[in-house]
Amino acid sequence: MANHSATHPKHVQHHFVDSNQQFESAKLGMWVFLVNEILFFGGLFCAYIVFRAWYPELFTQAALELNTFWGAVNTVVLIGSSLTVAMAIRSAQNNQKRGLEINLLITIFLACVFLVIKYFEYEHKLHLGIAPGSFWNPTEEIAAVLDHPKANIFFGIYYMMTGVHGLHVIVGIGLMVWLYLRARKGHFNSEYYTPVEITGLYWHLVDLIWIFLFPLLYLIE
Amino acid sequence: MASASTSATNAASTPTKLKVKRFAPAETPTNTYLTDEKGVWAWLTTVDHKKIGLMYLGAVAFFFALAGFLAIALRTELWTPAKTFIEADTYNQLFTLHGAMMVFFVLVPSIPAALGNFILPMQLGAKDVAFPRLNLASFYIYVFGAIFTFLSLANNGFDTGWTFYTPYSSDSNSAGIIWVTLGVFILGFSSILTGTNFITTIHKLRAPGISWDRLPLNIWALYATSIIQVLATPVLAITILLLAMENIMDIGIFDPALGGDPVLYQHFFWFYSHPAVYIMIVPGFGIISEVITTFSKKTIFGYWAIALSSLAIAFIGFLVWGHHMFTSGQSAVATTIFSFLTFLVGIPTGIKIFNWVATLYKGSISMKTPMLYVFIFIFLFSIGGFTGIMLGALSVDIHLHDTYYVVAHFHYVMMGGTLIALLAGLHYWWPKMTGKMYNEPLAKIAAGFIFVGFNVTFLPQFIMGAQGMPRRYYNYIDQFTPFHQTSTIGSYILAVGFLIILGYLLHSLFKGKQAGPNPWNSRGLEWQSTSPPDFHNFAHTPVVIHGPYDYHQPMEEFQLGLAVEHGHDEAHAEEATEAASEAKTEA
Amino acid sequence: MSEHHGHHVASAKQLWTVGIALLILTFLTVFLASIGLPSPLDLVTAMTIALTKAFLVAAFFMGLYWDTKFNSMLLIGALAFFILMVSITLLDTLYRDDIVPSF
Repeated sequence: MANHSATHPKHVQHHFVDSNQQFESAKLGMWVFLVNEILFFGGLFCAYIVFRAWYPELFTQAALELNTFWGAVNTVVLIGSSLTVAMAIRSAQNNQKRGLEINLLITIFLACVFLVIKYFEYEHKLHLGIAPGSFWNPTEEIAAVLDHPKANIFFGIYYMMTGVHGLHVIVGIGLMVWLYLRARKGHFNSEYYTPVEITGLYWHLVDLIWIFLFPLLYLIE
Repeated sequence: MASASTSATNAASTPTKLKVKRFAPAETPTNTYLTDEKGVWAWLTTVDHKKIGLMYLGAVAFFFALAGFLAIALRTELWTPAKTFIEADTYNQLFTLHGAMMVFFVLVPSIPAALGNFILPMQLGAKDVAFPRLNLASFYIYVFGAIFTFLSLANNGFDTGWTFYTPYSSDSNSAGIIWVTLGVFILGFSSILTGTNFITTIHKLRAPGISWDRLPLNIWALYATSIIQVLATPVLAITILLLAMENIMDIGIFDPALGGDPVLYQHFFWFYSHPAVYIMIVPGFGIISEVITTFSKKTIFGYWAIALSSLAIAFIGFLVWGHHMFTSGQSAVATTIFSFLTFLVGIPTGIKIFNWVATLYKGSISMKTPMLYVFIFIFLFSIGGFTGIMLGALSVDIHLHDTYYVVAHFHYVMMGGTLIALLAGLHYWWPKMTGKMYNEPLAKIAAGFIFVGFNVTFLPQFIMGAQGMPRRYYNYIDQFTPFHQTSTIGSYILAVGFLIILGYLLHSLFKGKQAGPNPWNSRGLEWQSTSPPDFHNFAHTPVVIHGPYDYHQPMEEFQLGLAVEHGHDEAHAEEATEAASEAKTEA
Repeated sequence: MSEHHGHHVASAKQLWTVGIALLILTFLTVFLASIGLPSPLDLVTAMTIALTKAFLVAAFFMGLYWDTKFNSMLLIGALAFFILMVSITLLDTLYRDDIVPSF
């Protein structure tokens, strides 16, 4: 078992005994990295919880400025992209090169839709002067509604949480473009699709984070 | 799992028809990891864990020297109560840099990334860590983090103390803060990647026969450390990111003037930084277990107690961070609970000390340099640990917080603990890594300088701290002058000790006696390879049938392995032939 | 070399079923938020639905249901530490005499 197997395929690195050990190690490594990501976002969620416990009325008031409809659309978009990336992995496992490429493309497309919607959300807010930190300068009608003295804190947290999440989406898009290019060159098949699997895990985490961000930021009534 | 029979001689057959043979390592190897890849470029692009470990060692030594030099400057300034030769503002920047460098660039990476990278795969019988390229990446990330930190010095520097408390750090107009927070953020990833690599390697790449109850205690320690690294470092990352955003954009989460809470920053910061001190010390505990068993020729007392106490420390260590914040204004409820939990974390640590001392009992003790450092460790770390418990007592801490008592405490645990353990490990594994022996009498003299110098430096600091001397102060009142001066003299003695070490270690590289594969007669798996080791660590797949501390078993039973089968794979044909002929000459 | 015990291949039907369930849960949570439930209940329902969605994604999209138990333990461990971090911090922030220590 510890001996080298009869064939040492090209994709298996020299320090691994066989393909399966390499695959399982990659998966374990990615899950450890996801643990790390959970704690990273965890800090932001902690700040959110602390401030919401202190100023619940602020959160109720400020959430009115967030557009629930577009937030829900983004949630649907991300769930869709999680579905398509899972389908992409399935295609790779079944040696369906075309299926893999198409599913990756759809995932990338949906991720871009998410970013576009996010862009318009941010643009709208910045236009109204709802900006983070020292750029906080709400228009008069906004200031009339958002009269809580700590309103800037809510939006500081909002921009940090959605901003860091957005950065992770951008990184995910980059990874999936790389995967797509490799898939086109025929690098992946049922024997070896490890990069697709672990990128998929990363992408699902991005979706998971949003699943919690959405109700916590947008659905406070 | 290839199961070898208990016969100790040349061949034993296994159910899977693989032959287990004895592979005694060669006395003077011709092809080693040092000769197989040559040249600067080969080193800079290597994915070999051994070379990466050595590069880390060099970097850590460099930063230690730099931060140590700063310490000498600080201590010299404190020779007189008023200004001696440094301005007050510069003084603040110097102690901040000393702290940040020592914590982030020396203590956190030193044992895991330098020694751990080298030794962990060898103790597991693996050819490398699970993700060798990620390993190299983590080294370069470390270097980048360092560069950014130094860039901050060119941009006004930073003088907040290594803890970067808000609102001073977030209000500071200094661009230096942004650079150093970026540097620390980047550095965090180095730590995370090393931890990820180690966890995966320990789970997936163990050689046949290494079950969890035969894992060396050094591995258990690195495992616990890696868990802490993966769970705690991301919180530092987000804290640093929020701090940078506060500084650049006044987000307002930590600044009371903007509606935020500075104590929240402290919570986030210490949620990482307290487990971080366990990242620093737990690998040291692992080294002590290895050295003490080898030089007592005895199995460890209480294997599972030591193994599980590492995990217990890792876990409880996450629950005590508020003991850095007793005087910060946090609630009485939190304060009381943190104090109680702090006492709790002393228990698994104490268990280790008792078990180590019990290991010595009726052992055949050999007082070589690594063992000398083990005794120094037990003495200094016990003092450090006790004083930590004292600081954990609420009422006492109100008086001692932010005094030199705290400074003395953490130097006793960090330097008297981690650094001494690092020196023990360095002297223990030096023959394995370099194939050379250092000058033993000189090494013992250096250890003497370090022990004496350390105590002369830091013992007076306990006393003056208890008498009220605050930490991070540039000036002080006259009654503390004798303490400060004694402390300064001690620091010079310490420096001499380190210079001696640097001297004879470098000398050994060129003129040192050739070390055999196992100069200490250890039963550890890493010693059953050549010194220096083969490029792939072992020319065969090791098969382990005993625990690593079974000194009652003959050495032959620790040198078993599987020959790579003939001609199955072109890439390994040469290896296979070599291994097979080696086995033939043993017969 | 094509033994894939350990590599579970999900069927398209399985994946789509989970996807549709997630969409339904999304509509549900938006709907429940819009009818304005009384104070702690709104948060509790929103979080319960979010946790259910998260479970579906983790178990079936990320494959934890068929994977080695250790990977699930990693996820649960991470969440446990997150909860520890938040709850112990709240032990401070919720029990202070005044929210931000005044100077």
